[in-house]
Amino acid sequence: MTEFFASSRGFVVLLLLFAIGAAGSLLFNKNDRQANYWSNLFACAGSLWGMFVAIGALVAPEPVAFTLGFSPFSLLRFSFLLDRLAAFFLFVISLIAFFCSIYAIDYVKHYYGKYGIGTLGFFYNIFIAGMLLVASAANGLFFLVAWEIMSVASFFLVIHDRDEQENIRAGLLYLIMTHLGTAFIIAAFLLLYRSTGSFDFSAIQSGGAAISPVVKNAVFVLSLIGFGTKAGIIPLHVWLPAAHPAAPSHISGLMSGVMIKTGIYMMIRVFLDLLAPFPLWWGVVLLIAGAVSALLGVLYALAEHDIKKLLAYHSIENIGIILLGLGSALTFLSLQLPTLALLGLVASLFHTLNHATFKSLLFLGAGAVINQTHTRNMEELGGLIRLMPQTALLFLTGSMAISALPPFNGFFSEWLTFQSLFQGIAATDSRTIWVFVIAAGSLAFTGGLALACFVKAFGAVFLARPRSNEAQHAREPSFFMLAGMWPLAALSLLFGIVSGYVANILQDVAGTLSVFQGFPSPFLLAETGRISAGGFSFVSPPVVFLLLLIALFAVFTAFNFLFFKKQKTTFGPTWDCGADLTPRMEITSTGFARSIILIFKGIMKPTMLKSVECRDGETRYLPKSREIRLGISNIYDTCLYKPAQDLALRFSLYARKMQSGLINMYILYILAALLGALYFSL
Amino acid sequence: MNMNLQFLAMTIFLTTIFFHIIRRNSYTASAYAVQSLAVVLLLFRSFLATGSLSMLLTVILVLAIKVFLALHLFSNFVKKYKPGVSATAYLNLPLTLIVVAALSAFAHSRVFAPLAAIVPENAALLSLGIAGMLISLLLMVNRKGILSQIIGVLSLENSIVVFGLFAGLEQSAILQIGIMFNILVWLIITSIFSSMIYRHFGALETAEMTSLKE
Repeated sequence: MTEFFASSRGFVVLLLLFAIGAAGSLLFNKNDRQANYWSNLFACAGSLWGMFVAIGALVAPEPVAFTLGFSPFSLLRFSFLLDRLAAFFLFVISLIAFFCSIYAIDYVKHYYGKYGIGTLGFFYNIFIAGMLLVASAANGLFFLVAWEIMSVASFFLVIHDRDEQENIRAGLLYLIMTHLGTAFIIAAFLLLYRSTGSFDFSAIQSGGAAISPVVKNAVFVLSLIGFGTKAGIIPLHVWLPAAHPAAPSHISGLMSGVMIKTGIYMMIRVFLDLLAPFPLWWGVVLLIAGAVSALLGVLYALAEHDIKKLLAYHSIENIGIILLGLGSALTFLSLQLPTLALLGLVASLFHTLNHATFKSLLFLGAGAVINQTHTRNMEELGGLIRLMPQTALLFLTGSMAISALPPFNGFFSEWLTFQSLFQGIAATDSRTIWVFVIAAGSLAFTGGLALACFVKAFGAVFLARPRSNEAQHAREPSFFMLAGMWPLAALSLLFGIVSGYVANILQDVAGTLSVFQGFPSPFLLAETGRISAGGFSFVSPPVVFLLLLIALFAVFTAFNFLFFKKQKTTFGPTWDCGADLTPRMEITSTGFARSIILIFKGIMKPTMLKSVECRDGETRYLPKSREIRLGISNIYDTCLYKPAQDLALRFSLYARKMQSGLINMYILYILAALLGALYFSL
Repeated sequence: MNMNLQFLAMTIFLTTIFFHIIRRNSYTASAYAVQSLAVVLLLFRSFLATGSLSMLLTVILVLAIKVFLALHLFSNFVKKYKPGVSATAYLNLPLTLIVVAALSAFAHSRVFAPLAAIVPENAALLSLGIAGMLISLLLMVNRKGILSQIIGVLSLENSIVVFGLFAGLEQSAILQIGIMFNILVWLIITSIFSSMIYRHFGALETAEMTSLKE
C-alpha cells in the first residue's frame, strides 16, 4: 500500500485533491458556508493523503523519482524526487496543514459576509499544494514555478483581510521581499545551469565537479540571500513580522510553521546535496547568521505587545536555532567530521519539526484569542484563563514547548543543538572554536529570553484581570478550532517523550544524503528512547517525563495532605491598601519587558514616549494619568533598506533623464541597442 | 548578378536616402509609393519564377495596399494637416548624409559579413537591404514630423522584405498576405490616431508632444 502512496499516481491524487479543493471553492464563492466546508475538507483530505505519501516515501528502500506530463520547454521538466529528506518536509507540511485546516473550518466563519470565503479557500489549497511541490521538485525551473505558486498564493492570503491598510502594506512588503529573494534564487540556478548545462537536480549533483569554486561560492551567497529571505534570517526578515500577523491565524500558523521552512529545506538541498564539498566559511556564515537571528529575534519578540508579531519574531529566533544546527553540520563536513555533521543536521531537522508543531499551535491559540477579543494588543487582554481555560492550557503547552522546557519537544531539539555546538567547541581548532562558543552562548541567552518572553505573553494574555471590555466577554472557541489545537499540543508533548525514536528516524533521513554515504557509525545513538551524543552526554526523555510527573504528583500530594488538609480555608477580600483592585494595577507586557530591553539597549535602540495627562492643565501639579510607550527603532530600515531605497530612487531619477518623452529618442535607443547587439553577436 | 535585381534593389535603397533629403511631405509619400512599387516588381519576379497563384495574390495585395492605398492615405493626410505636418529634422542635411554614409559603411562592414554571407552571390544586395533598414530607422530618429516616422516604419518593412527575398528567406504566401493585412490595419489605425492627436494637440510634430510624459 505504501508503494502506491509514494508513486506518481499517489502524488497525482494528492495534487488533484488540492486542485478540486481550490476549484470547488471558487465555484461556491457565492455561498460562504459551502465554500468554507468544501475548501477546508479537501485541504484536510489532501493533507492526510500527503502524510501517507510522505510516510510511503520515508519507508521506501530507494528514493522515488518520476516525471509528470509533458513540458513544452526542453529545460523545464515536471520531475519529482521523493527521497527521505523531501519526504520529511512533505510530512511536516502535511501534518501542520491538516490541523490548520480542521481549525479553519470554524475559524473562517467570522469572515462570512465580509470577504469571499471562496477565494480564501482557493488560495489556501493552492498555497499548500505549492509548498508540497516545492519540497518535491527535482528540476530548478519547475522548482521556481512551484516557489512562485507558493509565494503568490501566500501573498493573496496575507491581504485577505484587506480593509486594513496595514495589511495591504504588509502584503506588498512581503511580495517585494519574496520576489527580491526569488531574483537571487534565479541567479543561483542560472549559475548552476551555466556550469552543469542542466536544471535537473540529479544532473547538477553529478556534474558538481564541473562547478568552479568561485561559482560555488557565488551560488552559496545568492542562495543564502534568496532562501534566507523566505526563512526570515536577520536582516532579511523585515517582511515576516508584518506579513504573518496580517494573515488569518490558520494561515499565519502555516506560514510561520512550515512555509519559512521551505527556505531551510532548499538550503539543505542546495548546500549539502548539490554543492558538496564546500569551504569552511559557508558553515561559519550560517552559524553566525543563526546566532544573530536567534538572539535578536527573541529580543525583538520581548519588545512586542502585539501577540502575533511576538510570535512572528519568535519564528525568526527559531529559524536561527535551526541554522545553528545546519551551520554546525556544514562546518563539521568541511572539517571532515561527518559523524558530528550528522548530529548537527539531525538537530536542525528535529527543531524544524518541533517548531512547526508548537508555533502553529501558538498561532492558532492566538487566533482563538483574537477572534474573541478583536485585538492583537496584549495590553488590552488579560484574565482569559477563566474565560478560555482550554485555550489557555493549549497556549501554555505551546509556550512551554517553545521555551524549551522539558518534557516538551523544544527542549530535546535544543538539547541536540547544544550538543552539536559543544562538540564544535571540543573537536574543532582555533579557526572555528570561537564561532561555536559565540553560537552556544547565543543559544543559551535565547533560551532564557524566550522563557521570559512567554512568561510575559502568557501572563499578559491569560492571567490577572481583563483589561478591556472585549476581554471580559471572551468565550472558549468552537469545536473545530479546539480540535485543530489539541492534537498539536499532544504532539508537542509526544515528540518530546519519544524524541529518541524521532531522532533515530531523522538520523535515517539525514543519513541518506550523499555527503553522509559511507559513514556507518553515527555519533548520535538513540536506543530505548534514550539519546546519547557520542558518549559525551545523554538524556532519556521518557525518564525525564516520568520524573517530572512524579515530582508534580509529590508536590501536589505534599501540599494537599501536609499543608492544606490541616488548614482551615477562609474566604475574604484581598487587602488592597484601601483602594479597589483594578486592571490598571497589573504589570503590563511593556512593563515586564522594559528592564530586559534596557539591558540590551545598545543593540535594540529602544524608543520611549512618555506622556502625562494632568487634572489641572495650567499648574500640572496633579497628574491624572501617565502613559509610557516603549518601542524599538527599526535599525534595518534606517541602516539598510532606507539607504538602499534612496540609492535606487537616485538611480531611478538619473535614469529618468532618458525618459525625454520624444519618440525619436526612443527609436534612437532602439537603433543604438540594435547596432550594439549586432556588433557583439555577429 | 541580374541587372534588373540590382536596379530594383538600388531603387529601394536610393528612395530610402531620398526620404532624408526631401523636405516636402508630398514628395515623401510619392517616394514611398515608388519604393513600394520596386518591392512589388521584386515580388512579381518571384511570381514569374514560381508561377504560384498565391504569390500573385500577394503581389496584387502589396500593390493595392502599399502603393495605391498608402499613397492615397498619405496624400489626403498631407492635404488635411498641411500646417501641422512638419518635414523638419534634428540634424541638418550635410550631417544627415554623413550619418547615412556611416550607416551604409557599417552595413557593408565585417560586422554584417555573416548576414551578407547567407547567399554569397547576393552579398552586395543583402548589404543594401541591411543599410536600408538602418537608414529607415535613422529617418524615424531624425525627423520631427509624424508622417516621416510612419513612412520610416513602412520603409523599414520594405527593406526587411527585400532582405528576405535576397536571402532566400521568403515565407509562405499566407504569411505574406497576413503581413499585408497587418500593414493595412496599421495604416488605418495610424491615420485615425494621427487625426485624434491633431484634434487634441493641434500639431503632429513629435517634438511638441514631450508634455505627454508623466
